[in-house]
Amino acid sequence: MRAIILIKWALVSLLSLTSCFAQASVPQRIVSLSLCTDQLLLMLAPRQHIVSLTRGAVDPDLSYMAAEANGFLLTGGNIEEVLPLNPDLIVGSAFASRDAVHFLRQLGYPVKLIGLPVSIAEIRDLLLAFGEWVGSPERAEQVVRKMDWQLANLNLQQDRVKKTALIYSSNGYTIGSGTLENVMLNAAGFHNLAVDMEVVGFEQITLERVVAAQPAFLFIENHIDNSDSLASQYVNHPVLDKMLLSKQREFIPSRLRACAGPMVVEAINYLYENHHDSKP
Amino acid sequence: MTVNHSYHGVLIGLFVAMIGSFFVDLLAGPVSLQWFNIWAAIIENKASLDSLIFFEIRLPRAILALLVGATLGISGAALQGLLRNPLAESGIIGVSNCAALGAVLVFYFGFTQWAWFALPLAGLLGALVSVVLIFLLAGRSSSTVTLILAGIAINTIAGALMAMALNFAPNPYAMQEIVFWLLGSVANRSVSDVLIIVPFIVFGGLLILSCGRFLNALTLGEETASSLGFNVQVLRWRLVVGVVACVGAAVSVCGNIGFIGLVIPHLLRPLVRHDPQRLLSVSAMGGAVLLLLSDVAVQVLSSGGELKLGVITSLVGGPFFLYLILKNRNVWG
Repeated sequence: MRAIILIKWALVSLLSLTSCFAQASVPQRIVSLSLCTDQLLLMLAPRQHIVSLTRGAVDPDLSYMAAEANGFLLTGGNIEEVLPLNPDLIVGSAFASRDAVHFLRQLGYPVKLIGLPVSIAEIRDLLLAFGEWVGSPERAEQVVRKMDWQLANLNLQQDRVKKTALIYSSNGYTIGSGTLENVMLNAAGFHNLAVDMEVVGFEQITLERVVAAQPAFLFIENHIDNSDSLASQYVNHPVLDKMLLSKQREFIPSRLRACAGPMVVEAINYLYENHHDSKP
Repeated sequence: MTVNHSYHGVLIGLFVAMIGSFFVDLLAGPVSLQWFNIWAAIIENKASLDSLIFFEIRLPRAILALLVGATLGISGAALQGLLRNPLAESGIIGVSNCAALGAVLVFYFGFTQWAWFALPLAGLLGALVSVVLIFLLAGRSSSTVTLILAGIAINTIAGALMAMALNFAPNPYAMQEIVFWLLGSVANRSVSDVLIIVPFIVFGGLLILSCGRFLNALTLGEETASSLGFNVQVLRWRLVVGVVACVGAAVSVCGNIGFIGLVIPHLLRPLVRHDPQRLLSVSAMGGAVLLLLSDVAVQVLSSGGELKLGVITSLVGGPFFLYLILKNRNVWG
């Protein structure tokens, strides 16, 4: 009899212990190491659980969530700045601060990294996974539903023949298949000529090939506006202004495309509204 | 008589080679052009895709390769004559790096808007500082070892200062672009880049050529040159200004393209029977040929243009440098 009571007691205490763990698994002190995780945190996590963001988060040119980022502690994403904050979850981008992440994991901190989504489906997966990490899956589902609804209601008039386009950015890079930018161009009714050139991802192409491709729209993306650099000499080369039949346009602003998220809808809309519809 | 004869033969041969490699460089590129369309653009002033690529991209690139190659060749010959040292070359003794430092300071901190000549002038001033330093550190007609050591010191300091300037420059790409300044390239340049350096290169080149007879006299020593009626002080400065004007301008738009000034005078010296005056003009043409052909190699080897021109010239020049050291090891002791 006594033994049964003892077992019962043990079971009960075990149960309460596991529920206690479940409670603790919702992170209370989240630290972000990158611009993209900054924005996801602001979209999905409860504000009181966010401890720090990175400096880019408040820059309206870079961050879609700049207005919401005010009032948080900002860091440069370095280990030394992050450790004293005693985080119980560190989120970052898989492509930035690789060494820092390795070190933090060795020290036993839970680190979650986001990848680089290259399709709408992958953005959906990212939002849902991130929602799970920060303990607000319902909020994530809500954001995804809203994004899907907006995408379905974009109401873009598609031409029978897609207009040709080519992106040319600082340092002579163009953007080809397997990228979110390519998805955005297609969704907005453009045919990306870089795909015909068999460009996968980001690749440098020469000015000659840009001129020879003769895109109907040449999307120029200069990462630095007013300072001299060799990188911007590519996009400032006089031949681009003289290109025949091509209209030169600014590419999607950084705040809409630097990171993947529901702002993809606005990015597609921007391409469509500002470029596709405008007749010469 | 026979000497003159062969000298003119060399001149004509190099000139033909230079024009030939200029046209080969114009042909080289990722897009194949219809020459008929370019002809039509010249005759009927009718712009086309081909004429656009030809006049806006290829022509500036080839002209720059020609001008910069000629500059490096003639300045190498002039420096070797002036310092009476076979290893004097703008890259090795630090002139190019100092010119690049001057250009970097002006370019990345927004001073290029001040005047069209701000960039080449900055390159010129940087180069001038290095030549003065070389004179102070190594002196005239010093041993080769001293000259090389002084060159290493100046190169190191200029390289470090350049990296520091690029670190502090107000743009995110500056640090990546150190590769350009250290290795050099003529890719993606426009007509305006050519125009800003032409006056400096012509001025510097003419100054150097006007010192030809002085260089001949200098082979006999400064005192002899002076007794022959040359104003050594004035002529030496004229030569220095000539070298820094053209090297400074060339480096300020194309970066530090190495070894041409070393290789070309050495290769051509036997052809002009070790005559320093004649070496000047043949080195200019030889340098142009080498840089044009190096640019052709860049175009053939990389379609994206990611290979820097200086990589090719260093691959040619580096082993040659080693060969010179091995060959002269006994002489230099």
